[in-house]
Amino acid sequence: MTITSVQTLLPGRIAANANEQRTEKPPPQLHTVQDFPFKGYHPPQPEGWQQSQAHPDTSAIVIDNGSHLVKAGWSFDKNPRFAIPPVMSRYRDRKLNRQCQFIGYDAYVDATTRGQLRNGFDPGSSVVGNWDVMEGVLDYLFLKLGVEGANGGVGRPILMTEPIANMPYSRKMMNEILFECYSAPSVAYGIDSLFSYRYNGGTDGLIVDSSHTSTHIIPVLNSKPMFSNTSRLNWGGLQSAEYLMKLMKLKYPTFPTRLTDAHMEELVHNHCYVSQDYDRELNGFLDWSGLEDRDRVIQYPFTEHIIQEKTEEELARIAERKKESGRRLQEQAAKMRLEKLVKKEQELEYWKDLQQTLANETKKEVRRILEAEDLKDEAALERLIRELEKSIKRSRNKDLGIEETEEQPEEMTFPLLDIPDDQLDEAGLKEKRHQRLMKSNVDARLRAKEEKEREKARVEEEERIDRETRENDFETWISKRRNNRQAILQRIKDRDRFTADLGNRKSLASQMRMKTLANLASDGPKKRRRGGDEDDFGANDDDWGVYRTVAVGEASDDEEEEDLNGMLDAVEKELLEYDPEFSESHTLAAQSDWKKSLVHAFLRGPWPFDPESQREAHQLHLNVERIRVPEVVFKPSIAGVDQAGLIEMAADIINQRYTNPADQARLLKDVFLTGGNTLFTGFDERFRQEVRGFLPIDALLNVRKASDPVFDAWKGAAQWASGGDFARSSVTRQEYLEKGSEYLKEHDLGNATW
Amino acid sequence: MPPPTPANDEAHQQLLNSLDISHVPKPFRNPHWKPSQRRNKNLKQIISEASRKEASVMATQANSGATTPGTSAVTDGTRTPAEGAAPNLSQATQNLSTLVLEKNARATFATGPAVTYTNIESAPSFNPAYKHRYCDITGLDGPYTDPKTRLRYHDKEIFKVIRSLAQGVPENYLEARGAHTILK
Repeated sequence: MTITSVQTLLPGRIAANANEQRTEKPPPQLHTVQDFPFKGYHPPQPEGWQQSQAHPDTSAIVIDNGSHLVKAGWSFDKNPRFAIPPVMSRYRDRKLNRQCQFIGYDAYVDATTRGQLRNGFDPGSSVVGNWDVMEGVLDYLFLKLGVEGANGGVGRPILMTEPIANMPYSRKMMNEILFECYSAPSVAYGIDSLFSYRYNGGTDGLIVDSSHTSTHIIPVLNSKPMFSNTSRLNWGGLQSAEYLMKLMKLKYPTFPTRLTDAHMEELVHNHCYVSQDYDRELNGFLDWSGLEDRDRVIQYPFTEHIIQEKTEEELARIAERKKESGRRLQEQAAKMRLEKLVKKEQELEYWKDLQQTLANETKKEVRRILEAEDLKDEAALERLIRELEKSIKRSRNKDLGIEETEEQPEEMTFPLLDIPDDQLDEAGLKEKRHQRLMKSNVDARLRAKEEKEREKARVEEEERIDRETRENDFETWISKRRNNRQAILQRIKDRDRFTADLGNRKSLASQMRMKTLANLASDGPKKRRRGGDEDDFGANDDDWGVYRTVAVGEASDDEEEEDLNGMLDAVEKELLEYDPEFSESHTLAAQSDWKKSLVHAFLRGPWPFDPESQREAHQLHLNVERIRVPEVVFKPSIAGVDQAGLIEMAADIINQRYTNPADQARLLKDVFLTGGNTLFTGFDERFRQEVRGFLPIDALLNVRKASDPVFDAWKGAAQWASGGDFARSSVTRQEYLEKGSEYLKEHDLGNATW
Repeated sequence: MPPPTPANDEAHQQLLNSLDISHVPKPFRNPHWKPSQRRNKNLKQIISEASRKEASVMATQANSGATTPGTSAVTDGTRTPAEGAAPNLSQATQNLSTLVLEKNARATFATGPAVTYTNIESAPSFNPAYKHRYCDITGLDGPYTDPKTRLRYHDKEIFKVIRSLAQGVPENYLEARGAHTILK
């Protein structure tokens, strides 16, 4: 083997500059998908039948029976008249009480018909699996071709294509239908890719036919296909669409709209292409620069939740109404305050009057009056009056808008406390008790104040020390900060992992939790640890922590979460300020920015994603898939197909199965690509380049593509059906009746019997 | 989809009528044609039937020589060249056992196995260059494998995604690569 190309290894995307500026991208260009491929009513074209009347024996009906499109026309036509998918929708209409039957694109006409859609081919193969559908498709084609028929038969020879190495059973059934249902006078079968090759004028070469359900490589020498050296890969356009469907369902598991096979096919056709250097292109595919061009956005229809947009006027009115009601409330409150104030003033008046009257009364009388007013003594009355005065003053201030000044509480004196109990009478004792209470109150307040000041001083002192270390020993300080940040990050990670693990029944965390729960719940005789015989739960405060480990849910670690994030913010702020190596892009917030996220680029392209937006929720982003899906035909292992890829197959056929250099040269001189799956942009260049890789340096290689990879097979068949070989290779009705339904005549463009 | 309005409905019914081919007369059909009820078979059934048939033909040919093998022309209807040679009656008089031996030898050595739908499938790949490992989630280069889910992944961010996948989802990813476990 010769080395024909040299690859340089590019650095992976991880090495990309972390400080790279990721600028905003212009809004994406949206692509849409067609809802369903209904193409309207097609009128029949009876003029072909009229034309065939002149030569009923040589004018053949040519049908290229493809699993994607069935193409049909007359042998004298230049192009197929009809091309329809081999699908049928047949059901009984309950309203009209009659059978309905829709074929091809017509079967996509509405939801009912789409619901009853049946495919003629066995899923994923080029073998007919549903003969009712096949019959329906043939009915439709004959109707549209204007076949008038006579005596219950089509009255024209039929040429049909079939897959390479078609099953005897399939041919038998097709023969049965054509000869017995449609009473065809004669039928011939051929292979589509060979027709296409013949149409493009090939005689010796290697046919690479990648079509809807399979990919074949057929060597042709002297216009004869070498079936024993033919190879098939079970991958084609259908499998590509199915693969894309799988990928999309995994990529957007909660996509709100139903994705259909037809959509996927359209996406594969319109957006996928064959990469010239897959591995290299792949590794740069999700890079920020140019991603807006590589990422294709598919917009599905959606209905945006309409947020009631309020006009300026309405907003003003609402604000006015709010203000109005606020004012009313304020007024009410003011009124109530005023009323209270008036009441208090009246009360004050009353008590003051009382005090004055008391001054002139006898002691006995005073006691009687006080008792009647529910007061203990004159001191109590005095306190009451003082309180009232204070409160009136406060509310007056409030009304007038004077700022309440924290009035220094007048220095309290507690004279009674120093006097021994035995020198006091009963009232004095009571008073003393009261004063003691007041004193302890005041003391506690003072202590708290001192505490606060001490704490403040401590924090200031810490800050000072911190500043000093920063100024004198920056290295230690910064490394301490960095370690601190790492530790916080680790804690956040641990916390996340813990919560994630709790969701998993088998994780260590949830198993530990179950164990704790079981321990707590079991109150039977437990094995006591040595020493302690009695239950001392709660003796240690940490014992209660067990309930925190058991509780699951957001409430349990709310405070801690706040705390961790806050701590991280603080540390990062400091680092940003002092650490020269720590920039904005190193912060956790920047690291977790969506612009840095590979997953975001994969799912949403280079645009931000708003989970509320219905528009964005209905978008598919095709990026890596655009080259990943067509790549499977070169590397089937990507999609789990355990077969050699196209290049390996071709290499094997050319290098291993043809030992004669002359034969090899003849095959290589004309490598012919046909079939719908070769329509991808870049397919032929890639194929040429890779085949070149296993050839000797001086080998002549010529790769060409069919002039129309989809319709050339039909055109070639029509051309062949107009020639003399057709009649010779056809099985007549007479021969069918004599020799059975598996009878076949061999020719250069058809299958051989074995 | 909004419910169709009556006028719309009528137009649609007309369209349906024009597309519906069940009531269109089909003069080209044989009115007496009655298809078999069980003619629809899937690929697997067809293949297994075909291979069983092949095997039985081989066995009968090997043991009894029930068919009449010939070197130039066979007239049993399954092997007929386009020109269709006339049956050679003289073949019947030859020694049957010699012919059977000849035919068997030809079947096994000369032309190799016959070409069938199944045996033209390309063989598994042997070239390690085509066995490159790709990330199961994104399709990018996938040098690492998660031992728990067996998913291949591109970097630690994807790994985080893998670990957050719901139960059963990793299996779906494996299925896309054909590496899932099939319980039988």
